Amino acid sequence: MEKIKITLNINDKPYDVRVFPNDTLLEVLRDELDLTGSKESCGEGVCGSCTVHMDGNPVRSCLTLAMEATGTKIKTVEGLATEDDLSDLQQSFIDHGAVQCGFCTPGMLMSADALLNKNSKPDEKTVRKALAGNICRCTGYAKIVEAVAHTGNPQDHCPDCKTGGKTKE
Amino acid sequence: MRLPRFDYLGPETLDQTLDLLATHKDDAKILAGGTDLLVRMKKGLLKPKTLISLKALNELSYINKKDGCIKIGARTSIADIIASDLIQKKAKALFQACEKIGAITIQHDRGTIGGNILQDNRCHHYNQSDFHRSGRQACHKDGGKICYAREEADRCNSTCQSDGATALMTLNAKIILARKGGERTMDLADFYTTDGIMPFAMESHELLKEIIIPIGGAQSAYKRLAYRSAIDYPIVCAGVLLKLSDTQKNEIDDVRIVVGAMGRSPLFLAQASSSLKGKKLSDTVAFKRAADIAMDNASTFAVHNVGATLEYRCAMVSQMVFQALEQAALAARE
Repeated sequence: MEKIKITLNINDKPYDVRVFPNDTLLEVLRDELDLTGSKESCGEGVCGSCTVHMDGNPVRSCLTLAMEATGTKIKTVEGLATEDDLSDLQQSFIDHGAVQCGFCTPGMLMSADALLNKNSKPDEKTVRKALAGNICRCTGYAKIVEAVAHTGNPQDHCPDCKTGGKTKE
Repeated sequence: MRLPRFDYLGPETLDQTLDLLATHKDDAKILAGGTDLLVRMKKGLLKPKTLISLKALNELSYINKKDGCIKIGARTSIADIIASDLIQKKAKALFQACEKIGAITIQHDRGTIGGNILQDNRCHHYNQSDFHRSGRQACHKDGGKICYAREEADRCNSTCQSDGATALMTLNAKIILARKGGERTMDLADFYTTDGIMPFAMESHELLKEIIIPIGGAQSAYKRLAYRSAIDYPIVCAGVLLKLSDTQKNEIDDVRIVVGAMGRSPLFLAQASSSLKGKKLSDTVAFKRAADIAMDNASTFAVHNVGATLEYRCAMVSQMVFQALEQAALAARE
């Protein structure tokens, strides 16, 4: 079995990599390209911590072959922040204390980001539905849901949030 | 978890795919979304030498209305089905089932309707890691002669837990299987063998190409029960197709009740269905009776192998059927 040369477009940058047909996208991201933001925990699509975007849709990178990802636009958690600034969603996670051990956070962020791209003002129910495929074993769901809902609706009063219902200055 | 090794082929057209299938036969598996196949491969339940990817086959991704039927390409994603107005209006049960498949972040964009129908039967004794299975004798589905789900069983008792299959069987769907140089159309109900090891009446060189749902004047509904709202497979599910009489107002002409996740295939329950013929739409007592018949009949097929206790699952069949009947009746009244 030989390695095959493919080009992946990740966070708007092209990467030339040599992969085995049985390499998953997650393995290539973490082991070949050092993009270790996406995490592997269950490895069978149940937990959601490896979620990345393919052409704007959230997918499990542990259940996507690297070969299948050619020709698509991939966005990982590293693509959310700009060089000097966190995205509103990431800042909101910090402000709401939505990160405990942090292992689920990259997946939560990517699932939430995909939701916010499609529906910029989601209500709590919509957020819960969109994040239903992600597991947080610290069980910090309430804070995570608040953080996502608040990113979409920054004008709403939010007592738990350090920014006190204001967006990041 | 690493995937076992395999060769990856990416045909560009349907003809090329069928050629490759004809050449590789049993050695090859079709990769569509991969959300079921790759999990099974990671657990060592399947070790195909070759994967044939449908990635480039956009010609198999469509939903259209033709000759009084809804035609769905087998590679159409679950997300596309949920977004389709036509399915929401004319095939409500399929819409409700697809909404419940897996999670938005996994199956809905990657997963396909063809893959959902063709997901292999499951059993919590079989769908385990290599390590778990290596510690004991192989079961029927694993190539052995034991069934851990039912003592002394001489054959595999794995359960079909596909939401899509139950909904489509409720809707009287047909499927088209393509092979090199031809194709055949069959009722989805005939597609199931009662064999837990190979649940589908399909040759290894065939490809599921299209799903055809007849549009009648009937209303449909689908209900399912699972532990977790996302990702989990149903432990009981029920679909109902309800047609009103043309002559008598609010009288039921025909009902089709299908129960899923209780046997080796979705179960069409003829006795429960026919018990509602000629009944009034408001006759909840008759609904309850039909649901109880459904429970009695479906219970004979089920074994304790998908998580919840068997008693609970059997009891919930009647609830799921009753709720689906009420929902379909409500829609029919409008």
